[in-house]
Order: sequence, then C-alpha cells, then structure tokens
Amino acid sequence: MGLFGKQGSPKGEPTRLFYACDIHGSEPTYRKFLNAAKFYDVDSLVFGGDLMGKLLVPIVRDVDGGWRAGLHGQKHHLTTPEELAEFKKRLDTLGFYWFECDPDVYHWYEGHQDRIDQKFDELAKARLGEWVELAEERLAGTHVRVYLCGGNDDTDEVLTALDDAQDRVVNCENRIVPIDDEHVLVTVGYSTPTPWETPRERTDEEIGEVIGKLLAEVSDPSKAVFNFHCPPLDSSLDTCLKLDASVWPPTPVIENGQPVYYGAGSQAVGDALDAYQPTVGLHGHIHESRGATKFGRTPAFNPGSEYGEGVLRGLIVAVRGGEVVGHQFTSG
Amino acid sequence: MAEAVAPQVFTRRASGLVRVMSPYSAFIYNILTMGVIFPWTYLWAPTAFQGSNLVLGIVFAFVFELPIALAYAWLATALPRSGGDYVFQSRVFGGGFGFTVVFAFFVVWILQWVALSGWLLAALGIAPTFLGLGVTTNIHAFTTIGTWAATSNGIIIISLANAAIALVLLVSGFRNYVRFQYVMWYAILLSFGIVLLLFLTTNPAAFHTKINSFAGAIDGVKNFFGQAKAAAAAGGVNFNPPFFLFGTLMVAPIAWTSLQWATYSVEQGGEIKNAHVFRNQLFIIVGSLAATAGLLVLLAVAMNHGIGGDGIRVASSGYWYANGKALIGGGYMFPNLIAMGLTSSPIIVAIIGVGFILNSFQIVCNCYIGCTRIMVAQGLDGLLPDWFSRVSARWKTPVNAHVAYFVAAIPVIFGFNKIGDWSTKWALGITFANGAVMTLSALAAALLPYRAKKLYEASPGAKYRFGKTPMVTIFGTLGFLFGAFMVGAFLFVKGLGLAYTASAFPYVIVIGTAVFGLIVYFIMKQVKASKGIKVEYAFAEIPPE
Repeated sequence: MGLFGKQGSPKGEPTRLFYACDIHGSEPTYRKFLNAAKFYDVDSLVFGGDLMGKLLVPIVRDVDGGWRAGLHGQKHHLTTPEELAEFKKRLDTLGFYWFECDPDVYHWYEGHQDRIDQKFDELAKARLGEWVELAEERLAGTHVRVYLCGGNDDTDEVLTALDDAQDRVVNCENRIVPIDDEHVLVTVGYSTPTPWETPRERTDEEIGEVIGKLLAEVSDPSKAVFNFHCPPLDSSLDTCLKLDASVWPPTPVIENGQPVYYGAGSQAVGDALDAYQPTVGLHGHIHESRGATKFGRTPAFNPGSEYGEGVLRGLIVAVRGGEVVGHQFTSG
Repeated sequence: MAEAVAPQVFTRRASGLVRVMSPYSAFIYNILTMGVIFPWTYLWAPTAFQGSNLVLGIVFAFVFELPIALAYAWLATALPRSGGDYVFQSRVFGGGFGFTVVFAFFVVWILQWVALSGWLLAALGIAPTFLGLGVTTNIHAFTTIGTWAATSNGIIIISLANAAIALVLLVSGFRNYVRFQYVMWYAILLSFGIVLLLFLTTNPAAFHTKINSFAGAIDGVKNFFGQAKAAAAAGGVNFNPPFFLFGTLMVAPIAWTSLQWATYSVEQGGEIKNAHVFRNQLFIIVGSLAATAGLLVLLAVAMNHGIGGDGIRVASSGYWYANGKALIGGGYMFPNLIAMGLTSSPIIVAIIGVGFILNSFQIVCNCYIGCTRIMVAQGLDGLLPDWFSRVSARWKTPVNAHVAYFVAAIPVIFGFNKIGDWSTKWALGITFANGAVMTLSALAAALLPYRAKKLYEASPGAKYRFGKTPMVTIFGTLGFLFGAFMVGAFLFVKGLGLAYTASAFPYVIVIGTAVFGLIVYFIMKQVKASKGIKVEYAFAEIPPE
C-alpha cells in the first residue's frame, strides 16, 4: 500500500480525483466540495482556483431598529432577527461577504475603493481561514487530502490563509505535489489578462515561464496532472463573450448587432498540454464553457461553475498509469 | 444611529459570467416556436369537435398552460442551464427518469417535427406561395413549381434542404441564428398582419366568390366552395351545430400543441442573458404565451368575420374528413392559402408566402437548437457518448450533436413522406410524447422545494410563498393536473392523438421509444461503471452538511 492508500499502478485500482473550481466564496458550495470526498468516494479533492467572493453587502442598521441592504438591484428592509439571519444565509450561499454597520460606517466606505478592497481582503481571508480549518476537521482520520490554490480573482493577501494548512489540506499553489505513488499535481493559478483587471493576471509569456520552471522539476510529465486555472486558448473550454474593457463594468462587444464570442484562454497552457502530454488537464476560469477536449493523448476538462445557485459543478477523474481511465462531470 | 440609508453592494475587480441571447430574442424564439402562422386548431377542431367554440377553446388552452408556464419560470431561474427539461427532471426525479423521458419523448420524437417542418415548408409555404403567384401573375411555371412542391418527392427534397440549411446556419454559430431570427420575426409579423387584414376586410359572401375564382384558376374546378360544402355535409359535417362544451374543452389540447412551446427556450437556458432573473423568465415564457394566445384568438375572430363559420368548417373538412373537394392545389385550406385567395396582388401573395416559408425554417432550427442542447447536456453527464457533447473550437457550437441529429432525421423524413400510414401509425404519439415531457417538468417544479431543497432555497423564486406553501409547488401542481388532462386526452380521446385509429400500434411505438431511452441509459451506465464511474453522480446533490 502506498503512502496515500492507492497504488495508481497500471494493474491496481485507479486513483479517483474530484475536481472543482470557481466557487467564489460560496459557503454551501465549499461545504459540498469537502463532502464530495465521501459522497463520490474519491481519493483526493483538487480545487482549481478562484476562492474569493465578488460582492460585499453592507447591512446597515436602520433608525427604526431594523436593517437595510441592497441585493440584485432590489432594496431589502429586514425587520426581525429571523429575517436578518435568513438574508445572511442567502448571501453565504451566493458567495457574497457581508458586514453589519451603522450608517456613518457605511458612508465611510462608500466611494472609497481602497477601503472596500481592504474590507474584502479581511473578510475573504477570514472565510478562507475558516474553510481550511473546516477541511482539516472534516477530513481528519481519512486518507483524503484536499489540494487548494488560488485563481486570478484571489488576492495574494487572502491566499496567505492557505499557509495554515496542516495535515489534510495541501497548499498546492505554484507547486508540484504528489497525489499518489506515481502521479503528481502541478498547479498554476494565474490567468491571462482579462477586461476585469483581476489581481493575479499574467501575460502568456509569464505563464509559460512559470509552467516551464515547474515542469523542469517533474521527471515524468506523462504522469502529471495539470491543475491550471486558465484553460488552453481556443480549445472550446475557454469560450466567452468578448468584452469592451474601456468602460466599467466591461460590456459585450457587439458587431452587426450581435455579441462576439472568442477564446479567452492561454496559449502557453495549450502549448504545455501539447508539449508535455500530461495525464490530464484540469481547468476552470470560464464558468460558462463547461466541456471536454483533447490535446493529443491528453484529455482536458473545464467543469464550469454555478456557485451562485449553490450548485457545485465538478468532475470525477480516475487516473491510472498516467492515463485517464474514466471521467464523469457532476452537478451537485 | 442616524438617517435611514439605501445601501448599495460593494464590488471589487473580479471576472464575471456574461451570456448571449437577450430575453427579447428568447421571447421571439418562443413565439416563433409556437408557430403562430401554423394554427392547426382551425383546421382540426371545427369538424373533429363540431359545435366547439374556437376562441373559447384557445382561451382554455391558455388558462391550462398558464400554471405550466409559471412553473417553468421558477425552474428556469433556479436552473438557468442548457438542456432545460432534462436538467430539471434529472435533478428532481433522478438521472434514469430524466434521461429516459426527455431523450425518448423529446430528442427522439422531435425528429418527427424535423420531418413535419419540411412538410410545412413544402406544402404550406412553397406550394401555396407559388400557386398563389401562378394565379395572380398567370405564369404557369409558378403553378408547376407549386404543384411539384406538394408531391412526396418535392416534399422530401425540400425537407432535406430545409434540414441541411438549418444545420449549416446553426453549426456556423448560434449568434448567426439569433441574427437571422430577427429577419424571420419581422417577416412573419408582416405576413401574419396581412393575413389578419385580409380576413378583416372581407365578408363570407365575397370570400365565396374569391375562393371560387382562386381554386378555379388552380384546379379548373367550378363553384369550388359550393362543391366542397356539399361534400363536407355529405361526409357528416353539420353546418349548424349546437354549442358543444366538451368539444370546446377538447379544442384546448389541440391549441395546446401550439401554446405548450412557450417554454421551449429553457432548453438553451445557459445561453440567455440574465436567465436567472425572475421577471426576465416571466417575460420570455409567460409573455410569449400570452402574446401567442392573443394572436391565435385574433386570427380566429378575423377568420370568423371574413369567411364565416361555414368557411372554417369547409376548410377543416379537408383535413379531418379527408374531403378532397376542400383541397386547393392538393393542399389543405390553411389560413395563409385562404388569405392568398382573397387578394389579386402577387406582392401580397409573396409577402404572405415568405412569412410561412421562414416560420417553417425556424421550426426546423428550433428542433436542432433544443435537442442538440439536450444531447450536449446528456453527453456531459455521461449518458450519451462524449462525442455528442464536444463543442467545436472553431465554430464554438456542438457540431457533432447537430450532424447526428441531421443524420437521424433523414430516415424519418423519408418515412413521413413515403410510408402511406406514417402519420396514423408512427407519428400519432408526438402530441402525447412532447406534452408528457412538459407535464412532468411541471411536476418537477412542484417537487423542486422538497427534492432539491438547497437549490430551490438559493433561487430567486424561493421568496414567493402562499402561506407556508411555495408558489412553485402550487403552480407546478396545477400545471401537472392541467397537463395530465391534456396528455390524457391525447391518450384516450379518439379525435386526438393515439386513439385515432383504435389500433395498439401507436401506443407500442410510444412505449418502444421509452424502452429505447431506458436501454441507452442502462448501456451507458454499464459503460461508465466499467471505468469506475457511476453516472448517478451526475445528478445527485451533495449535502453541504
């Protein structure tokens, strides 16, 4: 029996991975991710980046003793603690951060993006810290490990919470880590530049350099699982609407009355899949581009994301001897 | 504490999801799918259920469909994904059930619609247009083309071309379809408006004269209307029937064969912009239903004004009583053909014809669009081979699924046009099968809060309750009951669907397709199991706690 309880050899049982990404702060989706180990009977949980939420909802205490907040363009006036608790629960499901405050505190933040960003980091880091603790607690006593990393939407400051990983949680960000006796996980969380100018974007050349440096340390790339947040360019895993970055928020580019689609992935990631022919490529980033494709012998997947509906979209991959022996998209 | 404020959410720079089809485009899509200019109701109901009231029957259909449409609005916001009905039912009832029902009763049965849309294009679009042009211009070649288009070979060639052109358009990119849909929309509106105007500006006496002249020019027959009416009366049509309430109720399932498609946009829910916003889905689904029902009522009123009850019954006898004397150029007296007979202008004839031709083409497009999205979703879930779910990197469309659907439609097109009793044996189940999917989705909506609790709680519709009961459960239950009534009518009422020939054969075909769906499911389940994967994982909701 190997270190991680699975042989992963050509004749043995395959190692089963569950992969998901882009949950963007959604509490129930993350809890589902942890429970996926038992539910799908897998050996490892691999996360592909974008842990942080995107919205921060100030819940302002009202003069009449209630609370006021905005959500989805609607004004919410909460009059009882039960309504407040229900509202907070909904925000957690949606992956939004929240804090209660008085009107003067709200006004202190209003219009000051630097203060808002700081609050985002504070709340996101706290939530990620809780998530790491929760994973350690839930997976204690099992052979399952959870591999966590950031994506382009996560700030470096928030990702420092992954340094608290102990036994069951593995911080795999920009690292090579073993997942069984013969396969390794190679993780890169960056994306190519986006119209949203997110915190961890790199040029294609820079991403290529990071991949090259990591792969230089891998003795047999054919037995590597690529966990690259950004999908390969023009691969059908990266199709999304082209956006005009000259306005904020970016809006779809319209040509002849119709929005324009394009591939928003990374050429360097595609080149790496072509050149190294790893066991499998696991990707995310483009939520709407769920699918599968192939680079030579290597299958590549993007399970997509629907974190906002509390749905955990994922992928079970069974690997053995440097090959994918089976896969299954999930929607839990 | 100070003044009350209206706080806004704070955002940061993070990437976001954007979709392509606007709610307005989806609204148009549903109206066109309902085929407002192919109202079978007028051709089917007046003599199948003599004494029925068309307008009231259409209103009944609207009322019955309304809770189904509302239930779909909840489902579409909770699960705004491509593969709609399959996703809803597999989530609530489980993969085996959802796959079998939607694969068998939609993907397989809608192949009949591909063939039927070719027939619509040939027999109701091209044939009457060219016949009409022949009459109004006295150019014999037009009449020859119109006559050829209504032959079985003509229909097959036109159907194959129709399906192939739709394949090319859709494979080249969904946005190309969306762009062309606007052309179809305005052309069809114009065509429909002119048909209405022609009916509203004539009267039954003038209609008799004009239709006699029109049919005489095409078929050389004299006193066409008088002969057709006499033959209809001899065949059993009562031209002074008393009001028939049950018959009027039975008009509802017929009108429902059009109105039920108000929900069809859910199949590409993953491509509709802001599909999770409740008011958008109400506009798309319920709005398109109300608009189409209104147009159908308007057409019924206009026809009644222009050609009278006798004219409607004569037209219907050509279809239901196979009254050969009530055909013009070998074709049924659909409203467009009648309207062409009311004008002497080739331009008006051409405008009407183009509208019908484009709506026929749209119907084959929507067969592809809906069914390929379902096949992609089923492929991604591992219930069809991966090949079906592949999206072309070049075209960004599911090319394999489109090609597979085109190939599968070819034998159906031949069967539809070459096998004499195809429509009374092989195709009779279509109204039941398609209706059953929608009825079961209404039931899925009713059970959503209980069978997919977390999913429901996260959906925007969760806040709407009647007392302690979720509104979606109320509408879903009502929709299921109304749908079951209409689906039951297709099963057991002689004037509708499966019971028409009093033969077991159509029932066997329906059961056979369901068994086929089950077999595919179990084969794929075994294939996946041999690779260490359970297909059930595709649908099972993981408990967060």
